[in-house]
Amino acid sequence: MNKNASTLRNGLWALALVFAAAPGAHAVPSFARQTGMTCEACHTVYPELNHFGRVFKANGYTLDNLKDVRGITAKKEEMLSLAGLPPLSAMIQVSYTQLNHPLPDGTGAAGHSQSGTVDFPQQFSIFYAGKIAPHIGAFSQLTYANDSGTIGIDNTDIRYANALVLPDDRSLIYGVSLNNNPTVQDLWNSTPAFGFPYAATNAGVSPLAATQIDGTLAQDVAGLTAYMLWNEQVYAEIGLYRSAKQGTTNPITGGAGPLDGTASNVLRSSAPYARIAYEYQWGRHSLEAGMYGAQFKFFPGGGTAASGGTAGSPALLSGPYNEFRDVAEDFQYQYIAEEHLFSLTGTRIHEAMNLDASAAANASNPRDTLTTVRVNANYYYKRMYGGTLARFQTNGSTDPLMYAAGGPPGVVTSANGSPDTRGWIGEFNYLPWLNTKLSVQYTHFDRFNGGNVNYDGQGRNAGANDTAYLLLWLVF
Amino acid sequence: MKKSIYGTFLGAACAAMFSTGHAESPDAAQSAAATRIAVTTCTTCHGPKGVSISPKFPVLAGQHASYLAAQMHNFKSQTRGDPDALGYMWGMAATLDDDTIQGLADYYAHQTPPPAHPSHSAEVARGEAIYLHGEPDAGIPACATCHGAKAEGTDTFPRLAGQQPQYLVKQLRSFSSNLRNVAVMHGVAQGLKEAQMEDVAEYLRTLGP
Repeated sequence: MNKNASTLRNGLWALALVFAAAPGAHAVPSFARQTGMTCEACHTVYPELNHFGRVFKANGYTLDNLKDVRGITAKKEEMLSLAGLPPLSAMIQVSYTQLNHPLPDGTGAAGHSQSGTVDFPQQFSIFYAGKIAPHIGAFSQLTYANDSGTIGIDNTDIRYANALVLPDDRSLIYGVSLNNNPTVQDLWNSTPAFGFPYAATNAGVSPLAATQIDGTLAQDVAGLTAYMLWNEQVYAEIGLYRSAKQGTTNPITGGAGPLDGTASNVLRSSAPYARIAYEYQWGRHSLEAGMYGAQFKFFPGGGTAASGGTAGSPALLSGPYNEFRDVAEDFQYQYIAEEHLFSLTGTRIHEAMNLDASAAANASNPRDTLTTVRVNANYYYKRMYGGTLARFQTNGSTDPLMYAAGGPPGVVTSANGSPDTRGWIGEFNYLPWLNTKLSVQYTHFDRFNGGNVNYDGQGRNAGANDTAYLLLWLVF
Repeated sequence: MKKSIYGTFLGAACAAMFSTGHAESPDAAQSAAATRIAVTTCTTCHGPKGVSISPKFPVLAGQHASYLAAQMHNFKSQTRGDPDALGYMWGMAATLDDDTIQGLADYYAHQTPPPAHPSHSAEVARGEAIYLHGEPDAGIPACATCHGAKAEGTDTFPRLAGQQPQYLVKQLRSFSSNLRNVAVMHGVAQGLKEAQMEDVAEYLRTLGP
């Protein structure tokens, strides 16, 4: 495999790993401490938001009932309004993962990996989540993850928000969000960053393909978006994202940047993002329908300082680029009663790829498409016992270079160059307390990386990647 | 940290867009501040102009100001302890000062109560009988005695006409269990069966302004 192909492959690997780790949606008790309100004020069961939770988020996480440390001038100009106690929270996830069929041994020798994986912890996170100053708040997460063995920045959303009283006593909430993951700032759980599965194993096998807006760029970009919520019904948002890679340095200075051709998949200029949604409430019901999307243009990059480039040509951050245009629709229905809670969410993401920079060397086709559909139904009884049944499906163009066959041990390859993956997730949850969750989750693949039987060309079937996952999830 | 320049500019621009151009009196300023809280915060649960959409949350439109103010003080002092008072309103009311409480009470008292939802079901008929005449054999007085023949309420007793049935039943349960500690209502609610609570609540939904 040449270096360009390796670059794209590495990118896809990184993408797959991010996809696996994407579920990072969290609700945090610091909001409860700050507002003096119970978890159910904002959630059905964490992390799914209800209408109040969505408006709380749109208002910049600033609603509070705490006495502030204040500073004012003699002219009553406000200089400081600081929470008496910082809105801090912690989260721990401990899990056990069992694959239906063990992975081949990574040494390449005969034999298998362990059949089960204990993650202790899978993640440990510290949050600052709440008000920073009047009209300014944040949801920011610092996470230790056992797969990387490092502490790093996780989902972060820093906001300014304010509201207007319009004629006839209608409201207009408006604000700006500075965040590091497209859709992490969104209000509904039908979009990727806070969508189901809310927690998933990091010890399973992830499919090769995922769209860019579907968690691929999480914590790899910085975005500034402006939004408005009219009458708590109509939501609109536009913004721009720019590469903000973690752990990448300039090879000359050793500093944090600027990015150059040694970095992979660097956004050309900025990527536009847009979102529109409408929510209607009646009685115990609410229904949201919306669209979101973005256009990402990437320089493949991935050159090395030593070689001065890839395959004989420098990987400069100029010239041809790959373009990914993601357009998605989503919906969310919620029924919230005292004892019975039900929700149905779904999204369809369609990605059109123009692979001008990668065609021939790293992609078989100059144009590819990828479509992901997810639908999940959730039910809870008294917010204590509940579960989810979810269907997921990704289909796309057959592209033997992008979804390459590769040799042994296979597993994360595709024998026929197809990205098609689909399956089901069933999950049961028990919450003895509103901030403690015990989960049993099973993921079944009907198809994986384009096939059902021998999908990787090395004899592995899609069902071998079926995953049983036990999770203890505590937030406090 | 000082207010951001962006925030100040945007706030000023928006204020200019929607300003009436007149200097406000203290009362008007208090009223405007209360309206802002009602429209930008309370409305999320209690609905536009105090007519809640979700049956979990009470209708506030047309409620007596004195009753509303008393409840907000009870939330603030944490002396009203029914589940949603504890879970929602203790936090919401914690930082409200007396002027704001009075401003919010006045705002909702001046809103139009929700329209009647007429029904001639057997459930409603049973509820009407209990509401107007009580259950003398069970020692349950007529609700109308305190809350009025049309459930319009008084300065002391809340308006019940048009209230959300789910909310009313939950309150009756809370009176019965003394989570919401009101001696008069504890006696009444203890004598009511669950089905009777629901009948009365459904009847009250049929009453309009």
